Amino acid sequence: MIVVRGLAKGFGRLEVLKQINTDIRKGECIAVIGPSGSGKSVLLRSLAMLEKPDSGSVFINGVDITGKGVDLNRIREKMGMVYQGFHLFAHLNVLDNITLAPRWIKKLKRSEAEDKAMEILSMVGLVDKARNYPHQLSGGQQQRIAIARCLAMEPDIMLLDEPTSALDPVMTGEVLAIVRKLTKTGLTMLIVTHEMDFAREVADRVFFIDEGVIYEEGPPEAIFDHPQREKTRAFISRLKTFYYEIRSIAFDMVSMNAGIEHFCRKYAVAIQRIYRVQLVLEELIMEVLKQCYPGSQPDISFTVEYVEECDEIFIRLDYRGVEFNPFSRAAGDADDLGMVLVRSSSRQQEHFFKEGNNRINLKL
Amino acid sequence: MDAFFTTIAESVQKNLLAGDAYLTVLGGLWVTVLISALGLGFGTICGALLCSLRMSAIPVLSGVSRLMIAVLRGSPVLLLLMLLYYVVFADNRIDPVIIAVIAYAFNSGAHIAELMRSALEAVDQRQLEAARMLGFSRTKAFLAITLPQAGRIAKPMYQGVIVNTIQWTSVVGYVTITDLTRTVNNIGNRTGDPFFSLFFGMLIYLGLSYLVSVLFSIGEKGSETP
Repeated sequence: MIVVRGLAKGFGRLEVLKQINTDIRKGECIAVIGPSGSGKSVLLRSLAMLEKPDSGSVFINGVDITGKGVDLNRIREKMGMVYQGFHLFAHLNVLDNITLAPRWIKKLKRSEAEDKAMEILSMVGLVDKARNYPHQLSGGQQQRIAIARCLAMEPDIMLLDEPTSALDPVMTGEVLAIVRKLTKTGLTMLIVTHEMDFAREVADRVFFIDEGVIYEEGPPEAIFDHPQREKTRAFISRLKTFYYEIRSIAFDMVSMNAGIEHFCRKYAVAIQRIYRVQLVLEELIMEVLKQCYPGSQPDISFTVEYVEECDEIFIRLDYRGVEFNPFSRAAGDADDLGMVLVRSSSRQQEHFFKEGNNRINLKL
Repeated sequence: MDAFFTTIAESVQKNLLAGDAYLTVLGGLWVTVLISALGLGFGTICGALLCSLRMSAIPVLSGVSRLMIAVLRGSPVLLLLMLLYYVVFADNRIDPVIIAVIAYAFNSGAHIAELMRSALEAVDQRQLEAARMLGFSRTKAFLAITLPQAGRIAKPMYQGVIVNTIQWTSVVGYVTITDLTRTVNNIGNRTGDPFFSLFFGMLIYLGLSYLVSVLFSIGEKGSETP
């Protein structure tokens, strides 16, 4: 259905896509993942010629759409594109948003188009919003209308470019429910997404994009559970841990704590426990800053990992410099309230020093 | 109170009724409306033309259009009018009303070109791309998405240009045209009671502005899109 050969696309001196080759079969659902800026969106846009590739070819049903004299309007009729920002037509109500293309392009009569639109609206659960304008709808509703607008053209291919990135968790759920329905209709779909659980659930194949190529691809179990290549592994493990670096005495502790909280909430960690993680890290970092970096630039990093199987939180703190073990002092030293707190909040503390690097492992 | 009404009745008699002066006023109003309407009509065509040149990808065309717009917007319409009357058409005496129509078409055209451009540029390009992805050609997407949205944005600005142009036609007396302003001024001079006739003239201009805003508010209600 979609065949890509040697696709390359750069912007100025920046080579975003270097060499993309792939074959996508009819009815396949592909999740496209990868670090930000790796060209996931550019790949999707290139498949619709919204970005003109520098070289290479894209065949849609055997037609090379990068060639000259191709009727792109015709090709795009059969392709739906869903954007992060919805991009509904602001001057038209929901019904007109959906019927505009069928009426103008497919030359359907208004009544026919509207009947069809109402059918699609009931599929996305928004029949009662038919006469509303986009700005009166929530983000989740707008995105569902955007999907409905594509479906009204009866596409063969749906391209979804981070369809839930601008939405809160509840609205994300609404939209993913609709996308899940679509995967069962035999549409060929490509979804750029950060919702890894969703990707694992619906995708037939996962593309991990990095270095301008499809760096690794495979069924979701293979990519998420047993990634083969280095960068994929790093990316996947990053998803399961929270990593933070401190390079200045005046680091942004508010954003650090917000990051920890956001990460822990993903795994439904209880709020008291999140506070404990934040407290332990704050105390440890303050102690390390005081003892190891008086007047010099700190070099501290830590990762927080949650292991669902045993319901444990692991913290690994690294700091370079002189050897310093905050746990070495006698327990119960009343002057050292911070470390007392750390000790009482964690179940296991270890300190190693190797080649100028201190490492602390904690289990909460 | 009676004395006040008596004074007004006398003024109306003296300024408007005596010698069928109201017919002269109507004649002046007709000239003002004629110049405004034709000037704005051709001005809109002129503006669309200037705007499309201004937005063209060819640097020469956009440069020329930019210069014309800057000159026309940056200079008084009266000077343009006098330039046309005393210099350009000095040798072939065509009706001064036609000359005025040309002057106001150019002047309002420049303003309209700029308002069209700003309205077109304010339309969300991403909605345009969404339309292209649904299979719309460039032209169809322009007609279905850009034009209606730009129209909505341009509407209040366009209303402003119309009202302004109507008021600026009050200077056509300089080139021997007897418009509304000239008429009421003449009447005031003749009767020695300029306050009444000039004030009456102002009321008519006010009425014209009000009429324009009424025309523009037709169909406004019911549509609540941004």
